[in-house]
Amino acid sequence: MIIHIDIDAFFASIEQAINPRLKDRPLIVGSRGSRMHTVVCAASYAAKRLGIYSGMSSRDAFKICPNLEFVTADQSKYIWTSSQILKLLETYGLPLNYASIDEFQIDVPDDQNPVSLGKEIKQQIYANFNITASVGIAKTWLLAKLASKINKPDGLTLINDDNFKEILSKTALDKLCGMGGKNGQILMAQGLKTCWDLYLNLPGFFNNCGKFKETSGKSSEDYEKPKSMSHSYTLPRVQINPQVIQAWIRVLSEMVATRLRQDDFTSATVHLWLNGPQIGNFGAQKTYQEPTNDGYYIYQRVLKIMAKSRLKNPLIRAIGVTCSGLLRPNYNSLFNEEIRREGLIKALDRINGKFGESTIYPAITVLTR
Amino acid sequence: MNQNSFSPKARWDRFEPEKTDFNPDALNERIDVLALFKHARIFPKSFNWHDKEYVIETITYNWQERSGQALINYFSVISAGQLYQISFNNSTFRWQIDKLI
Repeated sequence: MIIHIDIDAFFASIEQAINPRLKDRPLIVGSRGSRMHTVVCAASYAAKRLGIYSGMSSRDAFKICPNLEFVTADQSKYIWTSSQILKLLETYGLPLNYASIDEFQIDVPDDQNPVSLGKEIKQQIYANFNITASVGIAKTWLLAKLASKINKPDGLTLINDDNFKEILSKTALDKLCGMGGKNGQILMAQGLKTCWDLYLNLPGFFNNCGKFKETSGKSSEDYEKPKSMSHSYTLPRVQINPQVIQAWIRVLSEMVATRLRQDDFTSATVHLWLNGPQIGNFGAQKTYQEPTNDGYYIYQRVLKIMAKSRLKNPLIRAIGVTCSGLLRPNYNSLFNEEIRREGLIKALDRINGKFGESTIYPAITVLTR
Repeated sequence: MNQNSFSPKARWDRFEPEKTDFNPDALNERIDVLALFKHARIFPKSFNWHDKEYVIETITYNWQERSGQALINYFSVISAGQLYQISFNNSTFRWQIDKLI
């Protein structure tokens, strides 16, 4: 059986654990400090009951509830808590999947009782972090994930042969993982309304939804090479100043390049994505002969993509830089200038590794601060 | 930890503008702290800020963040009904008050 553990309103719950005054209050966690110009990263259950949800603009959320509590997201708390929950779950010694920052899956062998294990895990999480989790138990990870959503918050739901039909009949199709978008719309347009309808039409769907994937193992065998690395950023407001836009492209290029070097990759293909009120979504990519993991070269390549496009000083709201076609570095520089530059990058990485990220940074990025 | 689908390094708040004027959300002032180190954990008991003693009644949460080689231990603590965030840098052994919550 698979146990799916989903921490309830993860970011909001941690903020409520930190500040007891916020307990049971409608609360949103915003990705940025400005209350009215950000999006809802997480909403507490009291806020969710009012119709506030993640991804909504904070302005809309405050329209629904003017007395809403607001906290700015602090990633370090959430990342640390997530890693500590993972460590706690590793102590059970069972195959474990770190599905996302607030979702974990455990493969329980047949000789163990998954319900009592699920209860114990819930208790342990509450005792250690003062936050609640919802647990779903089923034969496959897809059903276990669905089960975890049924009795939120602080729920525990088992889907077995006895209640399989009853639960699937009650559950709308778009509640199923992967059915929230176009797939769900297509199937719903064909008259499938509930998960049971899907089961009747595609009986194998729930059993062949992909094998349980153990991803917390430390062996390199189960490591899947990433296809691309990217970073994107939504600017606090629409921006037209080309220098500021270039500065952000440099920041994102450096962030991508740092990750490439950390994982020992180079990339030959760069992709630029821009979003703005005039251009909508713009995306273009180019593959170069020489792969690189130097942030400056990635930045230069992205600027060339921008220069070749027909964009003339458009208003920009969001920027994304992606590097794909990842390769292991297998090229030794021949020219002194390149060798010196590699040495410089290694020195910069060592400085930032020792004193903290962005201790030393390209001058142009000052424009983003 | 092998993470294919989720990377904690992909942080969107890394390059947020720094606030330069006085701000109770960013005090970052050195404080003196009386703390108990027990079973590889830290329990701050009281702190002295601007010559005033603040007795810590409750540690509501604690977490860590790495900054280069330094490990920063953060604590949200309640003293006389007010919530504070304080932190300890294990590299410089500096305690500081980060902000009022």
